[in-house]
Amino acid sequence: MLKIIDLSARVAGKDILRGINLQVNAGEVHAIMGPNGSGKSTLAQVLAGREDYEVTGGSVTFEGRDLLAMRAEERARAGLFLGFQYPVEIPGVNNVYLLKAALNAKRKAAGEPEVDAYEFLTLIRQKMKFMQMSESFLTRGVNEGFSGGEKKRNEVLQMLVLEPKLAILDETDSGLDIDALKVVSTGVNSLRDPKRAVVLVTHYQRLLDYIVPDRVHVLSGGKILKSGDRSLAQELERRGYDWVSEAEVA
Amino acid sequence: MNMSMQSPAPPQSPAPPQSAALRSFTAQWRARTADSLSPLREQAMQRFLKLGLPTTRDETWRYTNLRALSAKTFVDAPFKARGEIEPNASLSLLGKSDRAASLLMVNGHPFMPAADGLINGIEIYSLREAARLDPKALTRLMEPLSDADQRRWSLLNTALFVDGLYLKITAQVATPLVILHVSAGSGGDDIAYPRVIIEAAPGSSATIIQHHVAQGEHTPLNNSDTHIVLKQDARLEHYRVYATGADAAHLDSLTVRQEKDSRFKQFTIALGGGLVRPSLEVRLDQPGAALDSYSLLVGHADRLVDCVNIVTHGAPSTTSSQTARAIASDASRVVFNSKVIVDTGAVHAQSQQSCRGLLLSPTAEIDTRPQLEIHADEVKCAHGATTGRLDPDMLFYMLSRGIDRETAQSLLVYAFLADVLTGMSVASARAAIENALIAQLPDSQTLRNFR
Repeated sequence: MLKIIDLSARVAGKDILRGINLQVNAGEVHAIMGPNGSGKSTLAQVLAGREDYEVTGGSVTFEGRDLLAMRAEERARAGLFLGFQYPVEIPGVNNVYLLKAALNAKRKAAGEPEVDAYEFLTLIRQKMKFMQMSESFLTRGVNEGFSGGEKKRNEVLQMLVLEPKLAILDETDSGLDIDALKVVSTGVNSLRDPKRAVVLVTHYQRLLDYIVPDRVHVLSGGKILKSGDRSLAQELERRGYDWVSEAEVA
Repeated sequence: MNMSMQSPAPPQSPAPPQSAALRSFTAQWRARTADSLSPLREQAMQRFLKLGLPTTRDETWRYTNLRALSAKTFVDAPFKARGEIEPNASLSLLGKSDRAASLLMVNGHPFMPAADGLINGIEIYSLREAARLDPKALTRLMEPLSDADQRRWSLLNTALFVDGLYLKITAQVATPLVILHVSAGSGGDDIAYPRVIIEAAPGSSATIIQHHVAQGEHTPLNNSDTHIVLKQDARLEHYRVYATGADAAHLDSLTVRQEKDSRFKQFTIALGGGLVRPSLEVRLDQPGAALDSYSLLVGHADRLVDCVNIVTHGAPSTTSSQTARAIASDASRVVFNSKVIVDTGAVHAQSQQSCRGLLLSPTAEIDTRPQLEIHADEVKCAHGATTGRLDPDMLFYMLSRGIDRETAQSLLVYAFLADVLTGMSVASARAAIENALIAQLPDSQTLRNFR
C-alpha cells in the first residue's frame, strides 16, 4: 500500500529525514517510535503533503501512485489521512461543515454523489456517540476551545467518517488520560480491516497495549535504525532509545 | 464632459489660490436660495473655504489623496435618477418576505412615503420641512460646527445640502427601516450632499439601515452626513452599507451623541466603491452609554477604504467596543484608524478595540492604527491590532482533509469575518451582506452551501 524508498527531507534548511525505507501493506498496523526530534512528525507531515517541508530525495508510492507528485488535498481524497499531533483551531469554520466538505470532496473525486444532509448528520451522531463526544461539538468551530483530549478525539472522529485506506496518526496518544486513550484506541481498532493500514507515530509504548502493531520501527536521526515485531516496543520501554542508537553504532 | 459654471469670483478669505473644486463649491453656494438655516450654513461655508480641502498632511487623511478630486469642477447631481428605481429588487438588503419599511433618497433628495408607507413609532420629515417647522431645533442638531479635519466635508455638506431626512424614533419599533441611498450621476463631475438626522427618543428602540447603491454609469461624488442622537435608554442598531461601483467615491461622516444608558450598535460595511471614506465619531456623553461598533472593510481591485473611528468617553461608566475586520486583495488598500479618548472625569470607562487585517495579495496593503488617549483614572482600555496572511497551519489542516485550496481559502476568509457578521441582529440583512461578500471570494458556490 505504502512504499517509502530512501526518503530524505529538509525543513527550514535543516536535513531532518536522511533516507527512510518503509513498506506498509494493506491490513497492517505499524508503529514508528523514536526519541523527540528524531523526525517522526516530519515524516508524517511529508507524507500528508505539507509544502514547506522540502523533499530532497527518494520516492514514495501509495497504491502504486507517486505520492510526492500529488497535492495534499489529492492525497486525502485518494485515501490518506493524517491525524495531527497538534490539531489547529479554526474559529468560524464549523466542525460539521469541515467534515461534510471533506467527505464530499472525497466522494466527488470518486465520482460519487454528495452526501445527503440528513444522512450525514445521522452518521456524525453515531460516530460521536462511539467516540463519547458531547453534543456541543456540532455547533462549535473546528477544535475551537477544545481540550487536548477533545482535539485528539476529533481527529479520530474525522478518521472514522472519512474511512481512509491509510491512516497516519501522529502522537494521537499524547496528552490523553487513560479513559480517553481507551476511547481513541477503540476508535482506531474499529477501523482495522484487511484493506486498510495504520501507521502510529508515538513516543511511548503505552498506546501499543491498546492498539497492537504488526511491526515496530525505531526512528532516530532521520533514519529507521531498527525494525521488529511488538516485542521491540517492549524492549524499548525497558531499555530506552539510547540502547538502539548504541546498538546501531556498535 | 464637465458642466460649465458661471465665472467664479475668488472668495474674500485669505486662502491660498483655490482649486477648481473649491471654486465650484463657491459657485454652488452662491446659487443656493436662502432658508431658515442660512446663518449656520454661512458659517459652515466660510470655515470650509478657509480650511480648504483636506490633504495628506492632515492627521486623518494621511492615506487618502484628494488631489485628483480637487482639480474637478463640481455641479449638483440631478435631483432625480433616470429610469425606474426598484428598492425592493436586487438592490435590497432585505428578503421579500421581510417586514421592513423603506425610504428612498436619490442623490440626497428624499422621496417622502405615502401615508401607508409610514411606520408606527418613527416620525419622518424632510429636512426642508423640519427647517421650516422648527429651525432653532434643527440648527441645534447641526451644531457645533467642527474644524476637525475628519469633519471637513461635513462643513461643506451643512452649507450645501438641499434637502434630506429627519427621523424621530418615538417608540420601540421592531420593523427595520431601510434608507436606500441611490447615487445617479448625469455624466459630468457631479456631487451629492445626502443628509440624515436621526433622533431616538428616551426608551425608544429601532433598527435603521442606510444602504448606498449606484444606478447608471456615472456615480456622483457622495459627500454624505448622518447625525444620530440617542436619548436616555434609547437603543439603536444602525448599518451603513456601501455597495456602489468601482468608479464611485464616497466621503461619509457619521456623528453620534449618546445620553444616559443608551445603547448604540453600529455596522460599517464597505463592499463596493472605488474610494470609500467612512468616519464615525461617537460621544458617550452621559453615564452608562454604550457603543458597539463593527467595521467590515473589504478591499478589492484598486479600491481604497479609509475608515476613521473616534470615540470619546465623556462621562463615567461608559463603555465602547470596536471590532474591525479588514481584507485586502489585488492592489487595494484598507486603512483603519481608531482613536479612543477618555475625558477627565470619565472614571470606570471601559473600552476595547480589536482590529484584524487579512492580506490576500502581495500588492495589497492594510494600515491599522488603534490609539488611546486617556485623561482619567480607573479606566479599563484594551486594544489590539494584527495583520497577516491566511494561517498556513489552518490552510494545511483543511487541505489534508481533502478540501480544495480555493474553498479552504474562502472558508478561512469567511471565518475571519465571522466576528462582525454574527453581531448582526437583522438576519436577512446579514444574509444579503454575506451573499455580497461571498460573491467577491474565489469559491462562491461552495461557500453558499456552507451557510
